[in-house]
Amino acid sequence: MSQPISATIRDPAEILEPSRSPAGQTPTVQSLLFALPKGRLAHDSLTFLERAGLSVPTDTASRKLVLPAADGSIGFVMAKPRDVPTYVEHGAADLGICGLDVVRETDRAVYEPLLLPFGHCRLCLAGPTDRSPAQVDETVDLPELGSTAASSSPEMTGTPLRYMSQPRIATEFPRLTRQFFTDRGVNAEIIALGGSVELGPILGLADLIVDIVKTGETLRLNGLVEIRTILQSQAVLLVNRTSYQLKATAINRIIERMRRLTT
Amino acid sequence: MNGQVPFGVADYFWEEARNRQRLLDRLMETFRAWGYGDVIPPMFEFDANLSAQYDERLRSDMYRFLDRDGSTLSLRPEFTTSVARLVGARLHDWPMPQRFCYGGSVFRYLEPQAGQQREFWQAGGELIGAPTPAADAEILALTAASLQVADLTDYRLILGHIGYYRSLLQALALSQEQSQRLQYALNRKSEPLLADFLRDTPLRTGQRQAVETLPHLVGGDIESILSQAERHIQNSGMHGALQNLRCIVEALAGYEILGKLIIDLAEIRNLGYYTGISFEALTPGLGTAVGSGGRYDDLVGHFGPPQPAVGVALGVDLLLLARNRQQADDASAGPGHSLPALALAQGSDAAMAEVRMLRAAGLPVQLDVNGWSVDSALDYAAQTGIRDVLQWDNGFLHHRSDDNGGFALLGPLDKGRLSHAPTPHTEEPRP
Repeated sequence: MSQPISATIRDPAEILEPSRSPAGQTPTVQSLLFALPKGRLAHDSLTFLERAGLSVPTDTASRKLVLPAADGSIGFVMAKPRDVPTYVEHGAADLGICGLDVVRETDRAVYEPLLLPFGHCRLCLAGPTDRSPAQVDETVDLPELGSTAASSSPEMTGTPLRYMSQPRIATEFPRLTRQFFTDRGVNAEIIALGGSVELGPILGLADLIVDIVKTGETLRLNGLVEIRTILQSQAVLLVNRTSYQLKATAINRIIERMRRLTT
Repeated sequence: MNGQVPFGVADYFWEEARNRQRLLDRLMETFRAWGYGDVIPPMFEFDANLSAQYDERLRSDMYRFLDRDGSTLSLRPEFTTSVARLVGARLHDWPMPQRFCYGGSVFRYLEPQAGQQREFWQAGGELIGAPTPAADAEILALTAASLQVADLTDYRLILGHIGYYRSLLQALALSQEQSQRLQYALNRKSEPLLADFLRDTPLRTGQRQAVETLPHLVGGDIESILSQAERHIQNSGMHGALQNLRCIVEALAGYEILGKLIIDLAEIRNLGYYTGISFEALTPGLGTAVGSGGRYDDLVGHFGPPQPAVGVALGVDLLLLARNRQQADDASAGPGHSLPALALAQGSDAAMAEVRMLRAAGLPVQLDVNGWSVDSALDYAAQTGIRDVLQWDNGFLHHRSDDNGGFALLGPLDKGRLSHAPTPHTEEPRP
C-alpha cells in the first residue's frame, strides 16, 4: 500500500468499467476498493471496520455511491447486498462484506476467508400455523458445504418434507430453496419474489415460504411457524481471487486485523 | 429471428475484430517461434472422448447434440483433450517430444460476462512426451512470453502442484464427504469452514498441522513457502511434489520470470485432468485468470500409449480485455488504424497497374466499383473514416482528409504520404 488511491470521488461507472477511467491515473495495483452492503448490515459493517482499525468514510449519509475513507487509504462502494458478491467476483471491488445467505444464494467464485461477528440470522422454511408439517429438529450441514447435505435425518413424528407433492414455495432465495428440496427428492415449485414473501401463504400464492428470520416476530405476526432451518447466516468477508494474490500484502493486513476481532 | 444472434455469442467487427485476429496471429507466431507446430482439431467430436476427461463442472458446461446416426457429439470446450487424442491415437510412434499450438473457438455454456461469451477464443500450446521439470518450465515461460506479446506487463503466474494436495488427501484417508468439505473450504479460502472441518474430523497432530498450514502456503517468497511446506510432509507423494516444484523453479532461472511467480499450494480448483503443476495467469483489473495450464500425464494414455504432457491455454478475449484495462491509463493507447485508401481507377488499365503495385507494397487499397465522381467518393470517405482518396488523372492525385474531416488535394500521389504508409509502429512490411 505504498500508493494510496486518489481520494477524489470517482464516477461509479468508472469503477465498474476501469477501462474508461481518466488517462494519467496510476494503475490500481495498490489501491483497494471495498464493497459494503446497504441496508441492514451497513451500520454494523462500518462499526466493525472501525473497530478493526480501518479508516472508514465519515460521510456515510452521503448519496454518493463511492466514498473515500477518512484518510483516503481505501475506497468504499455502498452496494445492494445481492450485488456485493458480483462486484467482488468481477474484481470491480477487491473486498466485500455481505451475509452468508446472499453468498450461498448468488454462488459467485470468490474467497471468503472470515465470518464476521454480526448480522446473525437464519434462513428458514416456514408455513402457516395450522397446516404446516410438524416442527422437527433437523439440523442440516448446509452451512459447511453449500452443496450436498446428505443428512438422512431420521424422519420423525409429523410430516417429513419428502411426503409433500410439489409444494409451492415463495422466496427471495430460489437457488438455496431449490437445492434444499432437491436434496430431499422433492420437486418444489419455486415462486421467486422480491420481498414480503410472508404474503405468499396469506394470499394463497404459496404453501410455504423460505425467508430470513432474525427474531421470528414477523413470522408470528403473519401466522407462520418455522419448519426447518436451511442455513445459519452471519456476515462474511469476501475477497476477489485476483486481488488476493496481486494485492496480498494490503489484503492480508486487513484480514489479520479482522481476525483478531473474530476469534 | 429478426437478425438477432443467440445469447452468448457475439459479432466482432471493425477495430475489435481486427485486434482480436491480430492478437491471435501474434500469439501463434510466438508459439511457432518456440518450435510449436500448428494443429487444427475438429470443432466437434464424439462426446465420449471429451466428457470422460473433465470434471463435473466443465462437463455440465458442454454443448452436446446428436449426430444423424444417433451418436452424441459435443462442441470442444477446450483444445487439450483433442490434441492428446490426436497424439495418443495417431502420432504415438512419432519421435517425442511433440509440440503443438492452436487457436480458435471453444464453447461452454457459461453466464456471459466481459471477455467471456459462450463461444470464445482460446490459444495455447501443448508439449507432449517430456516428463522433465524443464518441460514444465518451458510452458510457464511460454505463458509469460504470450502475456508479453499481448502487451500485458503487469501479471503474476500462480503456481500450484496437485500432487501435494492429492498426496495429503491419501495420507488423511478421508471419506468422500470429508474430502469434499475440505476442498470446498480450501477453494473458498475460508478459515471458519476449515476450522469446522478440523473440529469434526479426527486427525493425528502432524496431519492436522499439515491441513492447518495449507492455506498459508501462498506467496511470492518461493523458498520460504517450499521449506515451510516441507515441514508438513506426510508421505513420499508430498515430498515428491515439493521436489518437483523445486526443480521447476530451478529450471525457470534462465527465463527471468521468477519475479512473476507466486506459489499457492492450496490452489486446487484445477483438479480436472492435471497430475502435476497447475497454474493460472492473473492480471490486475480482471477478476478471472487470462490463462491457465498444467501437467497432465494421464490424458494421452486414454487414447493410446501413455505420454507425459504439459500445456497452457490462454483466453484471447480476456487478454484483450486485460490489455484494454491496463492501457486505459496509458495515453499512448494509439489511434485507430487507418482504413484502406479508396481509388477511383475510372476504367484505366494504367490505374489498375498502379493499384496492383500499391497493394504489392503492402499498402491497402479498395477500388471504387460504383463509377463514382470525386465528390461522391469524398462523401463516402468522410462518412466511413477513409483518409485517402486517389483520383486517376494520368497518374493518381491524392486527396487526404485533415483532422476536421475535410479533404485537401495534396497533388500527385507520394506513397509515403498515405496515412497507412509504414511508420515505426505498424507491422506492415515496408515497400
